[in-house]
Amino acid sequence: MKMEDVSLSSMDNSKMEGFAQEILSDLVEDACLGLCFEVHRAVKQGYFFMDDTDQESMKDFEIVDQPGVDIFGQVYNQWKNKECVCPNCSRSIAASRFAPHLEKCLGMGRNSSRIANRRIASGNNTNKSESDQEDNDDVNDNDWSYGAEKKAKKRKSDKVFLHSLKQPVLSNPNSPRRSKSMKHKND
Amino acid sequence: MRREMCFINMSKESQMRAAINQKLIEMGERERLKELLRAKLIECGWRDQLKALCKEVIKEKGIENVTVEDLVAGVTPKGRALVPDSVKKELLQRIRAFLAQHST
Repeated sequence: MKMEDVSLSSMDNSKMEGFAQEILSDLVEDACLGLCFEVHRAVKQGYFFMDDTDQESMKDFEIVDQPGVDIFGQVYNQWKNKECVCPNCSRSIAASRFAPHLEKCLGMGRNSSRIANRRIASGNNTNKSESDQEDNDDVNDNDWSYGAEKKAKKRKSDKVFLHSLKQPVLSNPNSPRRSKSMKHKND
Repeated sequence: MRREMCFINMSKESQMRAAINQKLIEMGERERLKELLRAKLIECGWRDQLKALCKEVIKEKGIENVTVEDLVAGVTPKGRALVPDSVKKELLQRIRAFLAQHST
C-alpha cells in the first residue's frame, strides 16, 4: 500500500478509501449512462444497426488466419523465389535483388553514378574515349552537378559515358563489383 | 447528486467530502478522470460488450419502444461488474493521489 504522509485532518485511511471508491463508482456510473444515452440516440436516429451486414457478406470478408497467407488471403512471399531476366544484360536475377541490379546495370540511380565516378576518378589510363579527359576534373564534384553537365552534352556522350562505366572494370582490380559480374561484362 | 445535504447539520466529514468533490470538479480533475476511464474502457472492449448487451435489450423491447430507462436498467448493473480490475486499480490510484494532495 502506498504510504500517504499527508495529514488527513478529519478522515482516516479507511474513510478515504471509501471516499475514493465512491468517486470511482460515480465515474463508472457516468460512463454507463453516457453509453446508454449514445445507444438510445443511435437507435432512435436509426444508425445503431448500420454496421451489421448479412451473414454471407460477413463471411466473404472474414479475417484469414492461415499460414503463408496474409489476413486478406493473399500469398505474400510469392515473389520471393522468383527470378527475373534483366533486359539489359540478360541475366537471371533474384526478384529481391532486381531493383538494385537494374540500377547498376543501366547506369542510373544514385549509387551507380557514385561508383562510376569513383572508378573514373581512381585513374583509368587505358580509356581513350574523348569525354574522359574533359570529365576527369568534374568527376569528383557531387553527383548532381556532373549529371547536369551530362544533360547539356549530346546523346552521344551518354553512350560514351556508359562505355566508360563498363571498361574500367577490366583494368581496375579495386572495382567494387564482384568478380562474377566482371566476367559477364567482358562478353 | 443523490444526497441532499443540509449544510447546518453536515458533519466535518461530509464537509470535507463536499469540499474535495468541489475541488475535483473545479480543477478539472474529474473531467480528466472521466476521459481516462472512457479511454481505458474502450481499449479493454468494455464498451463493445455493453453495446452487445444493449442490442439484446433493444431486440427484446423493440426499436420503437425502447427507452433510456430500459437501457439503463438493463445494462448498468452488468456494466459496473464488467469493469476490469486493472482499470479500477489505475483510476483508484489517481483518485487516492488527488485526495492525498488536497485533503488538508
